[in-house]
Amino acid sequence: MAEVSYLVFQDIEKRFSSREGKGQVAAVQNVNLQIEQGELITLLGPSGCGKTTTLRMVAGFESPSRGEILLAGERINQKPPHRREMAMVFQSYALFPHLSVFENVAYGLRLRSLLEIEVRKRVLEVLELVGLEGLEHRPPQQLSGGQQQRVALARALVLQPKVLLMDEPLSNLDAKLREQMRTEIRRIQQTLGITTLYVTHDQAEAMTLADRIVIMHRGQIEQVDVPTQIYQRPASAFVADFIGQSNLLPARVVGREGEVWIIQALEQTFRLPSTALARPLAIGEAAQLLIRPEAVCLHPRGSLRAGVQRATYLGPIVEYELTLGTQLLTVVDRDPLRPRIYPVGAEVNFDFLPGCLYLLPA
Amino acid sequence: MAQLTAPSPEVPVTLWQERWGKLAGTLLRDPTLGLGLISSILFVVLFVATPLVQVIVQAFFDSRTGDPSLEYFRRYLDPVYRGHQWRVLWNTLIMGSCTALGGTALGLIFALTLARCRVPGQRWLHYLSLLPTVSPPFAIAIAAILLFGRSGLVTRQWLGIQFRPGVNDIYGLDGIIFVQIITFFPVAYLILRALLERMDAAMEEAAMNMGASCWQVLTTVIFPLLIPGLAGSVLLLFVESLADLGNPLLLGGNAMVLSSEIFLAVNGQYDQQRGAAFSLMLLLPTLLVFLLQRYWVSQRSYISVTGKPSAGQIAITEPWIRWPLVILTGLGSLLILALYGSILVGSITRLWGIDYSLDWQHYRAAFNRGLTPILATTFLSVAATPLAVLMGILIAYLVVRKNFWGKQSLDFVSNLGAAVPGTILGIGYILAFIRPPLLVVVGATVILAWYATWSVLAQRCWGVLLLGSLLGALLRWVGPSLSYELYVGGIGGLLMAMGGVVGWHSRLWKGGLLAAVGLYLELAVVEPFVTEPIGVWGRTLGGDMAKLLTSVQAMIGVIFQLPLTLVGFVLLGVVALALRAEARLLGRLHLGLVAVSLGLAFGLIFAGEPLALVGTPYIVIAAYAVRSLPTSVRAGMAALQQIDPSIEEASINLGADTQTTFRRVTVPLIVPALLAGAIFAFARHMTSLSAIIFLTTPRWPILTAWILSEVEQGGMSTAAAYSMILIALVFGAILLMTAFAGQQLRQLGGGLDLTMGGG
Ligand SMILES: Nc1ncnc2c1ncn2[C@@H]1O[C@H](COP(=O)(O)OP(=O)(O)OP(=O)(O)O)[C@@H](O)[C@H]1O
Ligand SMILES: [Mg+2]
Repeated sequence: MAEVSYLVFQDIEKRFSSREGKGQVAAVQNVNLQIEQGELITLLGPSGCGKTTTLRMVAGFESPSRGEILLAGERINQKPPHRREMAMVFQSYALFPHLSVFENVAYGLRLRSLLEIEVRKRVLEVLELVGLEGLEHRPPQQLSGGQQQRVALARALVLQPKVLLMDEPLSNLDAKLREQMRTEIRRIQQTLGITTLYVTHDQAEAMTLADRIVIMHRGQIEQVDVPTQIYQRPASAFVADFIGQSNLLPARVVGREGEVWIIQALEQTFRLPSTALARPLAIGEAAQLLIRPEAVCLHPRGSLRAGVQRATYLGPIVEYELTLGTQLLTVVDRDPLRPRIYPVGAEVNFDFLPGCLYLLPA
Repeated sequence: MAQLTAPSPEVPVTLWQERWGKLAGTLLRDPTLGLGLISSILFVVLFVATPLVQVIVQAFFDSRTGDPSLEYFRRYLDPVYRGHQWRVLWNTLIMGSCTALGGTALGLIFALTLARCRVPGQRWLHYLSLLPTVSPPFAIAIAAILLFGRSGLVTRQWLGIQFRPGVNDIYGLDGIIFVQIITFFPVAYLILRALLERMDAAMEEAAMNMGASCWQVLTTVIFPLLIPGLAGSVLLLFVESLADLGNPLLLGGNAMVLSSEIFLAVNGQYDQQRGAAFSLMLLLPTLLVFLLQRYWVSQRSYISVTGKPSAGQIAITEPWIRWPLVILTGLGSLLILALYGSILVGSITRLWGIDYSLDWQHYRAAFNRGLTPILATTFLSVAATPLAVLMGILIAYLVVRKNFWGKQSLDFVSNLGAAVPGTILGIGYILAFIRPPLLVVVGATVILAWYATWSVLAQRCWGVLLLGSLLGALLRWVGPSLSYELYVGGIGGLLMAMGGVVGWHSRLWKGGLLAAVGLYLELAVVEPFVTEPIGVWGRTLGGDMAKLLTSVQAMIGVIFQLPLTLVGFVLLGVVALALRAEARLLGRLHLGLVAVSLGLAFGLIFAGEPLALVGTPYIVIAAYAVRSLPTSVRAGMAALQQIDPSIEEASINLGADTQTTFRRVTVPLIVPALLAGAIFAFARHMTSLSAIIFLTTPRWPILTAWILSEVEQGGMSTAAAYSMILIALVFGAILLMTAFAGQQLRQLGGGLDLTMGGG
C-alpha cells in the first residue's frame, strides 16, 4: 500500500452474545475498508446487516471483537468514545430535551472550556450554515422533524470532527423533506470537507449522496464502489437484486472467442465482451444473466416474444411483467410515443439493449 | 474490498471469563461506578439480606439456649397448642383473602368511575381516595373506633346499640377486614386506573364499531385486559393485609393473626424464636406472592406499564352501568370522608361519646408529651430520605443502563426489603445488629479494600494490603489503651495531614476528599463538647424548651457520630477515588499513603463493636430507607427508561466522559422523578410502623409506635390528635416540595405510582 488511508478497517469482526443461548452471533465479519479524507461513504444494506454496529464501533460505543480500526494511522480500538473527536448524528437525533437549541449545539464546545464569545460565535455560525438562525432559544421539542434533524447536524458539525457519523439521519422525515435535506447534507459536507460515514437503507439516498457506496449483507461487505459501478457492475446477485430492479436469468457459458464470451440463456445465444462479466468463468459453468428492466426494449420487430402477465401504468413509465415459458421478466417501458398500453394476455416482441447485459456467477 | 473468506471458528469464551469481563470491563474500571455498585450491594446485603436470613435461621434455634429446636413447628401437631396455632393461620388467611377481594372490588369500582364515567370533582375524589396511602397505617382503625366502636358516634349515639358480650362489635376479624379494605383499596385503584388509562381507545372503538354495546365492550374487551391487573392487585393486597400490624393490634380483640402474634412474641413474651417461627409462616406466602407477582403476573400483562396514557378515553354512558358505579363510588367517598372527618372532629372534642364540645386539650397533650417523638420521627424520616433516593437512583441506573453479572439479584433484593412484612424485617434487624455482624463487616472490608488497592495500584496489591492490615491490627491492639478522643482525633489528624500532602502534590480535590474524612472525625470528637452545654442549658429551662433543645442536641449528634465502621468504609471509597493513578506525582510516597490510609480505615472499621446498631437511631434510618427503597428504584427506573440511551451516547460522543454525562444530561432529566421519589419516601418513612416498632427506644421514640401505645392507654382522642399531626406533617412536606419544585413535578404528569402501600 503506497499511502495510508484516513480511516481504515482491518478485518473487523463484532460478536454479540445472543440473548437466549450461550452462543455468540457475529453482527459484523471480515470487514476491510479504506476511507480517504473528505470522502462521503454510505453504508447500505437491508435491516440487521450490521450497519449501525459498524458505525458504533467507529464511534467507540462498541469495541470490535477482532481486527483494528485505524484513524490517520493510529489504532483507536481502545480509545474511549469521548476522546475520539468523531461526531455522530443519531437516527432519533438524541437532542437534549432539557437544553435549548443553542445549548444543545454549544454542549460539546462548553466541555472544551472555550471562551463564551468563541462559543457564541461558533454556534451562531453553524446554526446559520444549517439554516436555523433565529431558533436558538427554542426547546427542541418545539421544532419540526427537519429542524430537529438540522440541530443534530449542527451539534455534530460545530466541533469540526475528524469523522462525521450519521445513522439513518433522514429516516424520520417525509419524502419531500428527505430529498431537500439530502442535498443540504451533501452541500455542507463538501463545503467543510468532512470525512463522513453515512448509514442508510434507502438506495436513492445512497446514490445521490455518496462518493462510494458500501453494500453490506449479513454482516459482511458485498461490494465497495462508486454508485455507477455498483449499479452497472454489481459484484454479486445480492447487490444486483438489492440495488434497483433486476431480472436474473439462468444462463450457461458455452464458449469463448478471445475477448468475447458466448452465453446461452432463454434458449438464445448472447455474445458478451469480457468487461460484461463479474469474473471470468469456465466453459460450461452455470451463471446468471442480469438484465435491468429498462434494458428491455419493446418493439414489433423484436426477436424475442412473450405474453403480458401484468401491466401497471405509472404515468411516465409502464411496468410490465412478461412470461417467457416459466421465466418472469420485469420490463419498464418509457416510450412516450407508444399509443397504447399492451393489455394482459397480449403477445409482445422485444429485444435486449446490447451492451446492457451483465453476467454474474450462479 | 470485501474478502469473502470462510467465517473464523468460534472463539471459545468460558462463562466465568465472560462474566468477569463484563463486571471488570464496563463497571469496575470506572471507580465511581465501581464504588456505586459495591456500595449498593453492600447496602442491600447488610440491611435486607442479612436480617432476613437471620430470621429464617432463628426460627430453628432456641433463643435462650441456642440449641437447634423445632418447637414452634411441632406445635402445629401438638394437641395442646394445635387449636390456637391453626386458628391464627386460618384467621390470617381469611383476613388476607377478604381484604384482597374486597379491596380489589372497591378499587375497581373507583377506577372505572374515575377513569371512565366523567363525574364532577374527579380530581378531588382521586386525591380523597389516595388519602389512606399517606396517612398512618392505623388512622382508619382509630376513625372506625370513633364512629363504629362501643361508644361510637354512629353505633351508640345514632343507632343506640348497647354493646354487651355476644353483640358483634367493631373489634374482631370483621372489623379488621373492614378497616383494611378502606386502608388498602387505593393500591388496587391506582393499578387498575393506570391500566384503564393506558388502554388504547381505538381498541374499544373498534369493538363498538363492530356492534358491541357498552356492556359488551366492558365484558369482552376491558375486563379481559384488566385480568392481569386484577390478579396483581389481589396478590398485592393479600400481602399488604398479612403484613399489616397496626389494625390487628388496635381492632383484633381476641382474634389473633400472624403479625400480631409476632409482635406479642417479641414485645410481650421476649421469645425471639417464637417470633421468628411465626415470621417464617408469614414470610412463605409473602415470598410466594412476591415471586408470582414478579415473574407471572407482570409477564401476562398485555399493556406495558411504561406506556403513556392514551389521548381519548371512551366514557361509559349507558345509565344502568354508569349510575351504580357512580353511586357506589360516591358512597365509598362519603365513608372515607366521614372516617377522616371523625379523626379531625375526634381530635378537637372534649370527651368522645359523652361530651362533644370543642376543646384543644388533645393537641396540647400531644405536643406536651409527644414533642420528642414528633421531632425524632420527622428528623429520622428526613435523614433517611436522601439515603433512600440516592440508593434508589443508583440501583435504578445500574440496573437499567449497565450490564453486569448479578444485576437481577440486586434488583430483586432491593425490592424484597419492602415486600416482606415490616415485622419480619424488624425482628431481623434486632437479630442481626444486636451483636456486631462480623461476617458481613469483614466481607465488606475485604471487598472494599481489595477494590480500592486494585483500582489505585493495579499491581503490587497484595503487599500494600498486607501492610495496611498489619497497621490496622496494630491500631486495633493499641486502641483500647487510648481514649476515644485520642484514637479518633489522632486518625482524623493523620488523614488531614495526608490530605494536605496529596492536595499539594496532586489535584486539590483529591486531597480535599481525604482531608474531609479527617475533618469529619475531628468534628465527631469535638461535637459532644459543643452540644452538651445546649442540652444542659435546655434542661434548666424546663418544659417544652428542654425537650426541644435535648432533641436538637441529639439530632446534631446523629449527624456527627456516624458509626466509625461506616466512616471506615467511606474512607476506603475515598482511597479508591483520591489516590488513583497518582504514582507519577507522588512517587514512592504513593504506596505509603495507600498503605497508611488502608490501615487507618481498618482501625476505624474494627473500632469498638462494629455495626452493633440496635438502640441507635441509625438502625431506624436504615429500616426507613429499606422500606422506601423500591419506590425510589421504580421512580428512577421509570425515568431512566424514558430517556433514550442515545441521548447519553450523544453526550459521550460530543466529548463528555461518563461522569460528566451523568451530571449534565442524566441527572437534569431525572430530577422530577427524584423529587417525587423523595416525597413518597418521606411519606412512607413517617407512616411506617411495623418495621420500626421493635427498633424504637426511649431516646428515639417513633411517632407511629407512640400513637399505638397512646391508644392502648385509652386516649382515643389524643391518638386522633397525633394522627392529625402526622398527616399534617406529611402533607406539609408534600406542599413544600410542590411549592419549590412544582414546575419539575408537573413534567412528570402523574407518571409515578404509589403502589407500595403503607404499614
Ligand atoms: N447489543 C446487541 N446485542 C446482541 N445483538 C445485537 C446487538 N446490537 C445489534 N445486534 C445484532 O447485530 C445485527 C446487526 O445489527 P445492526 O443494528 O448493526 O443492524 P443495522 O444494519 O443497523 O439494521 P437497521 O437497518 O435495522 O438499523 C442484528 O442481527 C442485531 O440483532
Ligand atoms: Mg441501524
